[in-house]
Amino acid sequence: MTDKPTKIEITDGAGIPAKNDAGLISAWWISFIGAISIITYLVVTKPDPYKDILMFVPDGILVTFQVTIFSIIGASIIGLFTGLGRISKNKILNLIASTYVEVVRGIPLLVQLFYIYYALGRVLQVPDMLSAIIAMSVCYGAYMGEVFRAGIDSIDSGQTEAARSLGFDKNQTMFFVVLPQAWRMILPPVGNEFIALLKDSSLVSILAVADILRRGREFAAESFQYFETYTMIALLYLLITLILSKGVSYMEDRLNHYDR
Amino acid sequence: MFKKIIVLLMLSMLVAVSAQAELKVNSEGKPIIKVASDCTWPPMEFINKDKQLVGFSVDLMKAAAEAGGYVVEIKNVAWDGIFAGLAAGKYDCITSSVSINDKRKKAMDFSSPYFEVTQAVVTNKDSNAKTLADFKGMKVGAQIGTTGYFAVKKTDDVIAKSYDEVGLAMEDLYNGRLVAVVCDNPVAADFALQQAEYSKRMKIAFTVKSDTTEFYGVAIRKGNTEVLELINKGLAAVVKDGTYDKINAKWFGTAK
Repeated sequence: MTDKPTKIEITDGAGIPAKNDAGLISAWWISFIGAISIITYLVVTKPDPYKDILMFVPDGILVTFQVTIFSIIGASIIGLFTGLGRISKNKILNLIASTYVEVVRGIPLLVQLFYIYYALGRVLQVPDMLSAIIAMSVCYGAYMGEVFRAGIDSIDSGQTEAARSLGFDKNQTMFFVVLPQAWRMILPPVGNEFIALLKDSSLVSILAVADILRRGREFAAESFQYFETYTMIALLYLLITLILSKGVSYMEDRLNHYDR
Repeated sequence: MFKKIIVLLMLSMLVAVSAQAELKVNSEGKPIIKVASDCTWPPMEFINKDKQLVGFSVDLMKAAAEAGGYVVEIKNVAWDGIFAGLAAGKYDCITSSVSINDKRKKAMDFSSPYFEVTQAVVTNKDSNAKTLADFKGMKVGAQIGTTGYFAVKKTDDVIAKSYDEVGLAMEDLYNGRLVAVVCDNPVAADFALQQAEYSKRMKIAFTVKSDTTEFYGVAIRKGNTEVLELINKGLAAVVKDGTYDKINAKWFGTAK
């Protein structure tokens, strides 16, 4: 009996330290522990108003998460089709996708939100939450489209040629050969879009959607404690994005690891 | 040398402090009071087609300034944060249909009341609601941080939605996302009855009953007695000489 299989298991297994994980003293840990300590300190030493603010916003955090998660799913679906359209040889599909990207990227998100919610609201009645998600998806779909296009472009054309010569048709090549490989390139930038979308989701508060920012503003408007409220809001957003960015870099490391 | 620097520093501090406390004067020697106003509240204060700040309170402030011997500079400031700006000293007072209440009195001083107001509820024409409680389980909108919004929030089982501007809430009512909007009665009258598109579908259904009468006052930074006295002097003068009634008649048709 040889011990060959176990050796392979060990070298290939999980638990290898990721290359950009610099232990406990890194910018990430400083920010993370800092944010948690400041929140704890404020809540413990000055429950009025900090604890009150913290008790006021939880449903807002839930709404922010809902908007972000559904929007990133919507944006990914729109992005996939836009990306495919942008590299398509079909001139009409290509033109539609390119025009969409140009138009959406040229209009500020805030204006798009107002437009989809209030202007289209005259024609089509969509509930507030859904229209916020649609607006965020449409806006981020354009950016995601570019991410997908770049990811697909990065796959060597030899892969397509090889697949085609093995008898795959165009669609099969795309879905079974190119996209699975492109996914690896796409995932990290999608993670970054995810974080950017979470921060931009604060804009939906203008649509009377009760997210973190709207809840905070309601608290401030009633108590006149603007400084305290926005301090807490900033810390909460920071904490959430830090946790997400850790998740994204973990995913990146996993992918890089398998790539080796 | 060291002493000189200390003296100089102290002198400059004195100058800085007195500059903050005293109002600037214009070329005629009249003090200038900087006024903030959220001009999205027709007919009290709004921006007309010529991009000018107009409205009842704008006219009133200008007339009061004339009578009281000072000058007003009115600036359009978004409602959300308007009180924070006052506390931070960005302007001397707020004339923006601010209702006087005890909570606000803790954070700022108020001039003598200049307008009586009730909270009106705007709904669709086919609605039969008589009180806010009739909107159980439904969405009722109002502008963030207004007495109207607080009235909605106080009502049990009604979903309160806060908007940045009352106009956006009206638009959502028009689009069918809300069942009602609560705001000050002159504003409700302007939106529901004056705007052609809205008046086809909307009406003022009823007013919110309250045990206390609600008044607008000019909000002034806590402890700024100089501005408070000037404004009160001006307001008293325009009420006395009948200018107040003229302005009232101009914006609301009949003098009360």
